[in-house]
Amino acid sequence: MELRKVWIIARQEYLVNIRRAGFIIMTLALPALGALALLLGALFAGQMEQVGEFFAQQLDTGAQMIGVVDRSGFFSPLLPQYAEQFIAYEHEEAARTALLDGELSSVLVIGEDYLETGKVVVLTTGSGFNAAVVEDSATVRAFFVDHILTGQVDPAIQARAADPANVESQTLSSSGEAQGEESGWGLVSSFLIPYFLAIFLVTTIFVSSGYLLQSVAEEKESRVIEIVVSSVRPVELMTGKVAGLGAIGLTQVLIWILSGWGFSGGATAIWAVSAAAAIPARVLVLGVVYYLLGYTLYAILMASVGALGTTMRESQQLAGIFSMVAVVPYMIGSFLFTNPNALVARLLSFFPLTAPTMMMMRVPLAEVPWIDVVGSIAALVLSIPAALWVGSKLFEVGLLVYDKRPTMKEIWAILRGR
Amino acid sequence: MIQITDLTKRYGDVVAVDHLSFAVRENEIFGLLGPNGAGKTTTIRIIMDILQPDGGEVQVLGQPSGQAKARVGYLPEERGLYRNLKVLDTLVYLAELKGMARSVARSRAAALLERIDLQDWAGRKVKELSQGMQQRLQFVASIVHDPDLIFLDEPFQGLDPLNVERIKRLIADLHREGKTIVLSSHQMNLVEVLCDRILLINRGQAVLYGYLAEIKEQYAPNVVRVRTREVPADLPGIAAVEPDDGAFNLVLGAGVHHQDVLRALLDRGVEIRAFEVAPVPLDKIFVRVVGGEEA
Repeated sequence: MELRKVWIIARQEYLVNIRRAGFIIMTLALPALGALALLLGALFAGQMEQVGEFFAQQLDTGAQMIGVVDRSGFFSPLLPQYAEQFIAYEHEEAARTALLDGELSSVLVIGEDYLETGKVVVLTTGSGFNAAVVEDSATVRAFFVDHILTGQVDPAIQARAADPANVESQTLSSSGEAQGEESGWGLVSSFLIPYFLAIFLVTTIFVSSGYLLQSVAEEKESRVIEIVVSSVRPVELMTGKVAGLGAIGLTQVLIWILSGWGFSGGATAIWAVSAAAAIPARVLVLGVVYYLLGYTLYAILMASVGALGTTMRESQQLAGIFSMVAVVPYMIGSFLFTNPNALVARLLSFFPLTAPTMMMMRVPLAEVPWIDVVGSIAALVLSIPAALWVGSKLFEVGLLVYDKRPTMKEIWAILRGR
Repeated sequence: MIQITDLTKRYGDVVAVDHLSFAVRENEIFGLLGPNGAGKTTTIRIIMDILQPDGGEVQVLGQPSGQAKARVGYLPEERGLYRNLKVLDTLVYLAELKGMARSVARSRAAALLERIDLQDWAGRKVKELSQGMQQRLQFVASIVHDPDLIFLDEPFQGLDPLNVERIKRLIADLHREGKTIVLSSHQMNLVEVLCDRILLINRGQAVLYGYLAEIKEQYAPNVVRVRTREVPADLPGIAAVEPDDGAFNLVLGAGVHHQDVLRALLDRGVEIRAFEVAPVPLDKIFVRVVGGEEA
């Protein structure tokens, strides 16, 4: 392979496609939306305060005081630390009146048999949602526990009863070793980052394959392809296109990141650095490896399949088969969260077309067996030259057949060298 | 320049090129002729290393096929250009793919555009050019890298008479510059004017091969054309006399040589203003050979 020719083709593809209206519109759409949001924010800065007030009014449940009608005797008098949030009423009618007048957000009516039944009636205005909010409130929970147990048990036990568990999760490896503490941020990033990378991979595959298809189909439709292949080998042409259009995809991502950085005053970049720091090095390195191998494999396949179609539409239909395969791991995504090392996930990890997305989703979720990592990378590494060989063969005939698509029989004959 | 030996190419059960052998010599214009589907384009694509043969040997400029791409130019029958690319950029890109340095390619492309009167269009997109302009541009795209050997597959296809003359002149100029040209065309009148030697292939096999003049002589009809007032009725060896536009076509009997007819006319004192062996156009030879084979 002559690298100089590959470079010339890659440069040409890059320079031609970066000027395409479709690329410019798509690349600028995201920063434009950001700019629009900023502009609207600036324009309606004054009005936004009023808008905020409107929503605050809609969401405001009114007064924050909670009335208490105690018939059990456990809550009388109210402990002093709750005096700012709770107010005792002797009669329920008075509490109801105060609630309807907007002086209270809710009323707790505690029955005489509270100790036996735990029965408490919550009175609120508006929707039943407000009662649910009161029920789940940590403050209300502490209010009950403190009134029942004060003076009965050790204050430490009382505090634990009010807040029984401060959860901190650890994941064990197969050998039983803890893989480090996971903070809330670590947990979020362990889901967020792999999903971001996997979606990024598939998006780039779709975008770049679209350009590859367009590039190949245009050269074929305009009949310029025969002049080109009289100067370069199909493998050089394909490699140059894959490299040039890959660079286009990276340019697009770079523009998005830079524009995000610009609009957020650097916050996005800081987030990206923090996110990267929170991800284990193993996940980050493998993510990049699977991304690069996955893109290369798919780009080669898209380019070669694109050469078989007689029109752009036909090429896109053919390429759709591979796009469908690429998203299979997402279809079993929810199942993966609970069992990342399930047999089906492991099998899909060894299949080159699903290996990149499957492994990028599995690696952050659990300790993936090393044989899966090695096997999936080996499958991708071996399939790339094979795809390049098959693709070049298909190029050889597909590109020069203008009137009809080669049949499966003809393709098989080409691959067998006949 | 080109040496093809026993070349064979199959598409499934169809034999496109069948044990074909021929040679193209340095600085000649060689005609590669044949009916549609005869195997001409397949043969050219194999020589250009676009297709791989099933058998036989191809030597181009003393090297195996594919190793001399930088020195070979190609104007394919199925041709086109990047419509959205600028005219000069198109030529520079194609020259670079042939191994020419960018700066050299730019100056050569500019010179060629001047030669075909497109210098004012260098910065315009290809799609803005008229069809005739695009055809001229396609022609120079095949020679922008200054090749020694040039394949022209149907270079006159779709051209108006004015552009046919332009391309003819360009081919003649290239020939004078020492280039070797392989010309495939269905326009036999142009092949007759331009080519030194020809190869006629049918069903992938060579059916005529050699100097055009010799082939024409070989296929010359047994007719002489005489421009005179009248032809004596008792002229020996004449099977028929056919008046033709102020002249007479004399169909000779079997075994009669045209020299014998000329001598007999002179002996009888006939005033002869013109006498020639009736020429046979190449298209008639084509039809006779290919048609005979088909029959």
